[in-house]
Amino acid sequence: MGGLAVFTSDRLKGTLEYFMAYGISPRRLFLNFLIASLVLVTIVLSVAVGVGVGLYLARGNSFTPGLAIALGLYAVPMSFASAAFATTMGMYWSTLSSPRTGLNSPIGLAPLIGIFPPVATLFIVAALGVSGTTTSVTTFYGIAVAVMALVVVVVVLLLAMINRFLRRERLLSPA
Amino acid sequence: MVAEETAPQAGPARSIEGVGISCQSVNAGYLGSHVLQEVSFTIDKPGIYVVLGPNGSGKTTLFRTLSGILRPYQGNVLIDGVPIDRQQSRNRLHYLSHADGLPEGLTVREALAVYARVERATSTDIDRVLDLLGIRELSGHFLSQLSAGQKKRVSVARVFLNDRAIYLLDEPTASLDPKVAREIRSVILDLSREKIVLYSSHNLFEAREIGRYVLVLKEGRLALFDRIENLRGSHFVVGVRVLDPSEYLMGWTREGDYFLRELPGPEGVPALIRDLESHGVQIRELREMNNPLEDLFT
Repeated sequence: MGGLAVFTSDRLKGTLEYFMAYGISPRRLFLNFLIASLVLVTIVLSVAVGVGVGLYLARGNSFTPGLAIALGLYAVPMSFASAAFATTMGMYWSTLSSPRTGLNSPIGLAPLIGIFPPVATLFIVAALGVSGTTTSVTTFYGIAVAVMALVVVVVVLLLAMINRFLRRERLLSPA
Repeated sequence: MVAEETAPQAGPARSIEGVGISCQSVNAGYLGSHVLQEVSFTIDKPGIYVVLGPNGSGKTTLFRTLSGILRPYQGNVLIDGVPIDRQQSRNRLHYLSHADGLPEGLTVREALAVYARVERATSTDIDRVLDLLGIRELSGHFLSQLSAGQKKRVSVARVFLNDRAIYLLDEPTASLDPKVAREIRSVILDLSREKIVLYSSHNLFEAREIGRYVLVLKEGRLALFDRIENLRGSHFVVGVRVLDPSEYLMGWTREGDYFLRELPGPEGVPALIRDLESHGVQIRELREMNNPLEDLFT
C-alpha cells in the first residue's frame, strides 16, 4: 500500500513526468515501484514473522517442520504475491482512472485487492471440499502455490503489456 | 503574422557550436488527439525564447514533446541532430514542468538529493542551488510545510543541479511573488547568455522584459517566431504622468495617473516630449502603455 500511495501521489504531482523527461520508461517506473513495494513488504514481514515466531517459541512451543512449511510455502510467499498483485493492479487502476479531488482511490482499495490471492485459495479449497487429512494439507499447499504462480504470471503479463495498455500520457500530471 | 521556420540571423547572438533544438513538422497530443499540428522551428542560438499562447494553445504539450515525454504522432524532435528518444539527447536538456514534481514526505534537501542522484550531481551542487535560489534556510523543512511559491523555488532549483545546453522551462515564475519572480528571471537571464532557454509564460510584460525571441502558438500551430524587438503593436500608446496637471492635457484620455496619447510609433516620442515641454507640462514619467505581445492573443 505504501508503494502504491507514493505512485499515486507522484503521478498527480508530476514527479513521474520528470523521470520520463530523464528518459526513464513507464515500464521501468512501474517495475521500480513494484520493487519498492516488495522491499517494504520484506521489512514489514521480517518484523512480523520475527516477532510472531519469537512469541510462539517463547511460550514453550517448538519450531516444527509444519510451521516451517506453513511459513515458507504459504504465509511469506503469499504476502509477496498479494503485495505484488495489489501494487500492479493499483498502479493500473490509478493510471487508467481520472483523478478526482479528495479521492485517494485506489489506495483505500489496495487491501481489498491484496486479499484476492489468499481468498481465491480458500475458495478453491472449499470448492474442492478439501478436509483436514495429510493428503488434504498437501493439496492445500498445492492450490496455494498454483494461485501464487498464477498471480505472478498475471503481474508479469501486466508489466509486459504496459506499453500496450498504458500510454505514457496517462502518467502525466493534469495540465 | 507569418510563421518562420528558423530564428532570424540578425543580432549579437551566435550559434552555439553543435547545439540546437529542431522541431520538424511535429504533430503531438494526448491519447490520439492532436494538440500540436505541423509545428516546425529550429533554434541554435543562446537566448530566451518565450513561448506564448492562450490557454489550450499547446504550450505545455510543446514542452512535453520537446523533452521527449510525449512522442510525436508525426515529425521529429532533434537535439543536436539526434532524435529526442535517444538518451544522448535527453542528457542535453533540462525540463521544468508547470507541476512541481516534488516527492512529498521528504525535506527540501532530500528531494533535491533524489534528483541529484538522477542527475549525477553532488551534495556540493545541492548546496550551490540552495544558495542560488535563496532556499538554504528551507533545506530541512518538509515539502508539505512549504507554500506554493517556496515549492516552486525548490522545483526551479532542480534544473540548476547540473549544467545542460538546453532548458525547457514551463511557467517557471508562476505562483511566485514579484520579488522572487524577479530574482529567478535574473538567474535565467544569466543562464541564457550561453544556453538556449525556452520559457513559457502568461505574463506578457515578463515575456517582453526577458525574451529575445517569441514563439506564439495558436490552436496548436506555430503562428509566429520572431525577435521580440521586431514586433510592433497595431497601435502605440504612451502614458504621461505629470507633476501638475496642465490645462493642455484636459482633452486627453486618462487612465489612472496617466494621460494617454496614441502615436504612430516609438519614433514619435521625442516630438511628444518637446510638445509637452513647450506647453509647460512638467513630465514625471512617460511610458508605453500597451504591450505589442497583447496583439498576438487577439
